[in-house]
Amino acid sequence: MIKNEKSEINMEDPGGVTRLREEHEKVVKDCERRIQHWEKVSGDYDALKERLKTLPDRLSYDIMVPFGPMAFMPGKLVHSNEVTVLLGDNWFAKCSAKQAEKIVDHRMKYVKNELCGLSKTMTNFETRVGMVKDWENMVTEKGDYVDIREVIGKNDATVTKGKRRVAHRPNSKPKLETVLDLEEENEGSGEDAQQNGSTKSFMTQEELWARLDELEKIEELQNEQDSEDTSSSSSEDRNDTDSPTASNGLFVKSHINAPPSGEMKEDDEEDHSLPTIYFSHTVEPKKVRINTSKNTTLKFSERKELKEHSKRKKKNGHQNGHAHHEVHKIQTPADIYRLFVDVRNGEPVPKKSILKSRSRENSVCSDTSEGSAADMDERRMMGRSFSHDESTPSDNSDSLTEEDSTKGMPSHPAGKFEAFSGTVVEKDSMPLAVPFLTISPPALPTIMERKLEEVAVPDVEAPQQPVKRVSKFKAARMQQK
Amino acid sequence: MAEAIQKKLNTELEKYTQMQKDVSKSMSARQKLETQLAENNIVKEELDILDSANTVYKLIGPVLVKQDLDEAKATVTKRLEYINGEIQRYDTLLKDLEKKSDQHRQLLSSLQQEFQKAQGLAVGKV
Repeated sequence: MIKNEKSEINMEDPGGVTRLREEHEKVVKDCERRIQHWEKVSGDYDALKERLKTLPDRLSYDIMVPFGPMAFMPGKLVHSNEVTVLLGDNWFAKCSAKQAEKIVDHRMKYVKNELCGLSKTMTNFETRVGMVKDWENMVTEKGDYVDIREVIGKNDATVTKGKRRVAHRPNSKPKLETVLDLEEENEGSGEDAQQNGSTKSFMTQEELWARLDELEKIEELQNEQDSEDTSSSSSEDRNDTDSPTASNGLFVKSHINAPPSGEMKEDDEEDHSLPTIYFSHTVEPKKVRINTSKNTTLKFSERKELKEHSKRKKKNGHQNGHAHHEVHKIQTPADIYRLFVDVRNGEPVPKKSILKSRSRENSVCSDTSEGSAADMDERRMMGRSFSHDESTPSDNSDSLTEEDSTKGMPSHPAGKFEAFSGTVVEKDSMPLAVPFLTISPPALPTIMERKLEEVAVPDVEAPQQPVKRVSKFKAARMQQK
Repeated sequence: MAEAIQKKLNTELEKYTQMQKDVSKSMSARQKLETQLAENNIVKEELDILDSANTVYKLIGPVLVKQDLDEAKATVTKRLEYINGEIQRYDTLLKDLEKKSDQHRQLLSSLQQEFQKAQGLAVGKV
């Protein structure tokens, strides 16, 4: 059976191969013919040269002159040195024998060139003919060469050695065992790399997407759990999930023991929980802002905490001055935004961008052109209050001093945490503003200038601006209500 | 239906053969020009070898006409240039003809296919 197949296959091809061979042989023959022609020409030229050399030896020769095709006449050949040469293209030239010789030499050069080229092509095609003959022999199995053919079966050879990768179900957590399987598979399927390479990569991508989905869901769960569990446990979970993800993401190296510190670099010296860094903010600067609204600042701090631990803490932040130095967990960048909250009229409002006029109220260095004069005056007032360090009749300074005194203490213990315990007490920029303004640094010339300028007109405007701002805000709130 | 296609096929075939003939004609003309080019090159070189002492003749019909060496050289050079120009012209002509013949060939093959289909249909019908 196999033989029959082979013979069938072979019988188809010889047509082409023999045709090729025949064509090659034709070319070879043509070359031979041309070479013969040129060799004849070359021989003629050689003879001519000889004749030209000997011709001028005598002045005249007795010769038998051919008359027509059948007769000869005795005659003399005179002017033996004068030769009329056909230069080609109907051009003739009379020259001496020697000059004719030169011309002959010149032509010989040309003839030799032609001969060389022709011989080269001939050898070239001869080799080709030989090769084609060999092919023919192979195909027809006449000679010693045999064409090796392999018939491809029904994908028998594509059976994979080793396990095939299985795409994880989207909602299942990847386990370490699967990671191990990955290793095995890599070793086993390395041999069939070519065949499985594409499928493997495809499945790996699927796996990756599945993992991504898993992680998203886990993250959502964790966000919910944040309010209830401790941060360490959640981060632990996260780390666990991340490590296999990292290993599978690479999908060639299976780092089963991806260190917990690999992904989340939150180093800590605590043993039981994974290290996390907690951020806590001092509330003092916020209180400054609140002062303008004539509300107690205590409430503001509480509100801020409420914002952070919205689900975790109930409304226990009322009189809790300590709340602010509790753990302010920032686990995602979004958490940071939660901290930056303004409190107006007792309700937290997300901070506006610093490029907007409102947010510039509290910034020290901004010199807002679009900011209302009220903002400038307010700042002036605050600066004045700080610098003069008096109990001015303005509300700002009063509440400021109050809160400075009250809040100074609670914030202090926050600094007494262990080194790298994970709680970083951040202070807002405002407290720094205090010394700035008092020292009157060159960095803040504008504010100082205005302070100097309009010292005379503080009180009148001061009560008005807070009033105005409050009124605006209140109006908005009233509208909302 | 099949007959119409057949007629079309025949006309197209004739056109194609005509085109092929044109191609072969221009090819042969070009080859002739090439030999002339080679020859004139040799003549030029040989004229350079000679000096003005030798008289140069030009064969016009059965008559050998004397020519000045310099004149002869100039004439030969001009002829050479002319031949080069002609070769280029023929080259472009050949290219165009080849393109046209290719297009025609494709047309022919498509027509043939149609014809075969039609024939198949006709056979089926019959």
